[in-house]
Amino acid sequence: MSVPRQTGEIFELLSKGQFICSNSSDSRISKLYEIIDDQENYEMLYDYFLSINFILEKGDEFYCFSRKDESKADLERKLEAACKWIDIVDFFKTFDNAFASGYSFSPSKIAVEISVQAVLKSKADGLRSILKLDEKTPYLEVVSRIIKSLCDDGYAEIENEILKSYKVLSSFKYLEELITNINIPDEVQHEIPE
Amino acid sequence: MFEKRKSLLYKYEYALDLMEGNEDVIKLLLSKNIIIQSGTLLELDDQFLKFFEEILEVNEEINTSYINENIRQVKDEYMLYYLQAKTDSERFTYLKRIKSALRKIGRITMRNIVDLNRNIDNAFKLEPNYKIKLSKLENHKLKLEAIQLMIVQTEKLLNEDELTFFKTATDEELKYIRTELILDLTESRQNLIETRKQIIEYINQVKYQTKFIEKLRQLKYLRDQFEIKHKTNIFEVLSNSHSIAFEVKPLYSLKLSIERLQQDEVYQLIKKVSSKYKSGINPKKLVSENLSEDDMKSETEKEIHINLREVKKNFAASGKHLFEYISEYEFPREVSFAERVTIYCQMISIFEDEFEVSESFKRQDQIEYALVYPK
Repeated sequence: MSVPRQTGEIFELLSKGQFICSNSSDSRISKLYEIIDDQENYEMLYDYFLSINFILEKGDEFYCFSRKDESKADLERKLEAACKWIDIVDFFKTFDNAFASGYSFSPSKIAVEISVQAVLKSKADGLRSILKLDEKTPYLEVVSRIIKSLCDDGYAEIENEILKSYKVLSSFKYLEELITNINIPDEVQHEIPE
Repeated sequence: MFEKRKSLLYKYEYALDLMEGNEDVIKLLLSKNIIIQSGTLLELDDQFLKFFEEILEVNEEINTSYINENIRQVKDEYMLYYLQAKTDSERFTYLKRIKSALRKIGRITMRNIVDLNRNIDNAFKLEPNYKIKLSKLENHKLKLEAIQLMIVQTEKLLNEDELTFFKTATDEELKYIRTELILDLTESRQNLIETRKQIIEYINQVKYQTKFIEKLRQLKYLRDQFEIKHKTNIFEVLSNSHSIAFEVKPLYSLKLSIERLQQDEVYQLIKKVSSKYKSGINPKKLVSENLSEDDMKSETEKEIHINLREVKKNFAASGKHLFEYISEYEFPREVSFAERVTIYCQMISIFEDEFEVSESFKRQDQIEYALVYPK
């Protein structure tokens, strides 16, 4: 029994912290998803990657890697990343409640929304420091940077170059899951104003 | 006008346009109370509105009470009257009413289910406000339960409660209608199972979303207050996750293969890279002088080659020993004594097989040599 010939490609993507999503418009990636999603292939690849200390994690419509032993990223860095993601997800959910896997959006649309929604504007301002942008950067640029950060980490991808429309990938569920998993004790919940 | 029934404003002028300026028609309709005028706005009379909706089957509201009323009427009035009726013609009248009512029940149930499905879909997909969406879906769920109850009641009516009636009333058409209705109801019930699944799925999704947004809001609040580390279990969650997504993207730098670098196809690549790579050091290139005309002229250098085979050819016939033969041999050019000695040695070593080296020696100048004869 030998592993599929796309194994190298799969490793290349996943080992860089990327996701392989079922709803990617890149036919190469959705093809890879189909290959991993085959039960037999999955088991084989799981064992294969396990022997080099990677766990092939099956998410809801996406695959990613995690380490078998202690992660190389320290807690500090993880916390920083998690907080950044909370901010970014919060920003997009403020823009539109329905922002989730499969959602289509464009930077200009968000920029327009910023100009009419004060809350969104303040959240965009809050993200400037995280993305290391100064006060004078126009909002469209800020939005583009937020989206770029989303794309770089594999949670969204460009759908149409001409229309500048982007699409949220199923890996976004990973972030949602992460947020859902954080537990806020009841007594703390009461302290938070409505 | 019916098409615009949902917009609250229907101006008198629109109606006039529609009638191509013929005001008489509108006035006639007004006088018959089919449409009502309030100020400059016109409205369809409610009764007619209902009527049109019924006819065109476009009603969006799901009305279960209507069927319930029908069932009650059939059960408590017509059937009872039928059984109590004395004359055939009386019975026939009630039978006719029952048949029409039963037909209606089937049709309306099916339509209600179609409407319900559409309404559920619309509520889930189009309603932007999560709270309204949720309550809309909950309401649809109640309606769904009402329809289910109604089906159960109707079936009970057909199969259990009024067996006496169905046995007494021996009418072919009634039997046909009854079977049709039972089939319709079974189909409806099956449809409802699917609808129920759908609505529960939708409600769960909406609830999940609402919950998620609420959670996100709370987390964001704690984060903004810098309390997230202490008031949540974020550390625990994060230390349990060894996902690569948190790590800095790794760069796998591999050493170049020296062997591969020496291949021809890589050479072009190296040249390309080196052209991009500017070290700042620019070595001076020294240019040599141009070649003169004289340098370009070709010169020939003559060298007379001594052919040892040629020398050997006459040696056997000469009757001399080799050293003597070589000393006296007339070479094509001037050959010194030392050279002759060299030739002597060369010949012995080359033609060793053809010569016989004797044991006797002779001396000339400083050199002692062996006497060599041809074999």
